[in-house]
Amino acid sequence: MFKRKRLRIANHDLPFQMVLVAFGIVTFFPLVLVVITSLKSNTQFYHNFWLPELPFQFGNYSSAFRIIWRYIVNSVLYSGSTICLIACIASVAGYVFARFHFPFKTALFLGFITLIMVPGVLTLAPRFVLVRDLGLVNTPGALISVWVSGGLVLSTWLMRSYFESLPQELFDAAYVDGAAERQVFFYVSVPLARPMIATVAMTTLISSWNDLIWPLVTITDKDKMPLAMGLMQFSSDFETDWGTLFAGYVISSIPLLCVFAVAMRQFISGLTSGSIKA
Amino acid sequence: MLRRLATSPSVGASKRESQSRLPIRVWRAKWLYVALLIPVAMLLIFEWLPAFSALYNSLYIWNGGKVHFYVGLEHYERMLSDRTFRVAITNLLGFVFFRVIMQTALPFFAAEMIINLRSARWSYWWKIIFVFPMVVPTILNYLIWRFIYNPQVGLLNEGLKLIGLDDYTHAWLGDPNTVMWALAFVRFPWLPTLQFLIILGGLQTIPQEVHESAAIDGAGFWRRLFYIDIPMTKRQITLAMILTMLFMTQRFDLFLVMTDGGPGYSSMVPALQLYQSAFHFLEFGYASAIGVVLFVAMLALTIINLRVSAGATSN
Repeated sequence: MFKRKRLRIANHDLPFQMVLVAFGIVTFFPLVLVVITSLKSNTQFYHNFWLPELPFQFGNYSSAFRIIWRYIVNSVLYSGSTICLIACIASVAGYVFARFHFPFKTALFLGFITLIMVPGVLTLAPRFVLVRDLGLVNTPGALISVWVSGGLVLSTWLMRSYFESLPQELFDAAYVDGAAERQVFFYVSVPLARPMIATVAMTTLISSWNDLIWPLVTITDKDKMPLAMGLMQFSSDFETDWGTLFAGYVISSIPLLCVFAVAMRQFISGLTSGSIKA
Repeated sequence: MLRRLATSPSVGASKRESQSRLPIRVWRAKWLYVALLIPVAMLLIFEWLPAFSALYNSLYIWNGGKVHFYVGLEHYERMLSDRTFRVAITNLLGFVFFRVIMQTALPFFAAEMIINLRSARWSYWWKIIFVFPMVVPTILNYLIWRFIYNPQVGLLNEGLKLIGLDDYTHAWLGDPNTVMWALAFVRFPWLPTLQFLIILGGLQTIPQEVHESAAIDGAGFWRRLFYIDIPMTKRQITLAMILTMLFMTQRFDLFLVMTDGGPGYSSMVPALQLYQSAFHFLEFGYASAIGVVLFVAMLALTIINLRVSAGATSN
């Protein structure tokens, strides 16, 4: 734990700290109000807008959870499989691009990174027709296939640059010890690339978790909706039941909150590396 | 054997390799192609194919199914005379202009406050605190702000009543005159995470000595801000601005969730019009044409972005 002494505010910092505290209050105020409201019944809410009021309505949480859990599970499954697939495919592809010379390598790699220039809006409509013709509409495949291929562009590039940055001596040592290429990949390269794999996983998690438009056009069944889309459905189903609505909002923020708490550094690096493909 | 990349450009082997004939070299690398088969196939099917389909079908009238005939550049001409599209472009330009200023000034302000702190530990915690709203799913940002603007029980109207400004309460999203302003302020006090991290990163790389010597020369807060901090983070500021432009041009979930372009089409933007043309009116050709126009605009921005970001995110 931190020693309390360390967090004392120096005189020089005081004016800046005051501005920051004000800024922090404004930032968190809407969130706090959402939490407060999530513990009220509608009568309490209309009677007293601002302050928490007893008794707390924990029942809001259980009724919201009965609806929301389904969407959370779906999102975990969809984003989880997307992350696994991207991590596997991108590390192999990145490794091949980083460590070997072969004919058409440059052309193939250009085929990857040129796509960074292609925005999602351009491909949205034709991609929907394609996925529909493949019979994937209203299946998890519609989401996962498109999220994986979209994420591969950036991930392969990131993995390639990471593998290129590893010192040649490491590989030489493994080859001298008689390791086959497959072993070098699994026992040397992948363990070393763990930080970059974590970054790739986070980038993928954040973008797939928050994607609203693509599920909106491809998924129709309530049971199959991922969280972002499910929340939209939820908010229209519970339009005026404020307590339950906001309890649902709080519940649905918990998964990313946990990831953030456990892996803050990777979360932030995943965020920044996603900026290259905006 | 597979040919490995050596850090030292070893001559002998590679020269002999490159002299052997292409089919032989392709055959030797066959396992590498197998390894790349899945990603290449996926990108061809789900990325390249739709991209070319968009370019191609922007010249056709197409309902996404059987109806499909050539009309040349008619969709592009239609855009010029389409009133909705004109409103959409005007809205987008105003919106982007406002957001770029807000999404740069706000994080710069917060970052400037943070780097002025002497305590490294506090700087770290403030950074975490301001990144925190990122864990709220994007859609919830919009839903929460929809609540803030709610005409009956919204936070904004209740706040106005609380300080006695009952006359100013308003249906913020329901009035064509206020809707774009309301949308421009969505997420307002929350920092755009990415832009904040980029600018903060830039400010933190300014060497301590520069600030110290400025202090010795008697430069106060404002002089330092205008003569050191802003000039020295020009790259990061530019990057933050371009990123905001790119996000705002292509992302329309904000508009879709908050107003769906309404009332009327007073909060329409091109990307939302693309979505509606395709999925409400089944005009996939017209939607593709709008996509192509947006693509060209964003291509220019992306090229600048790649140039700038090469330097600015490395810290």
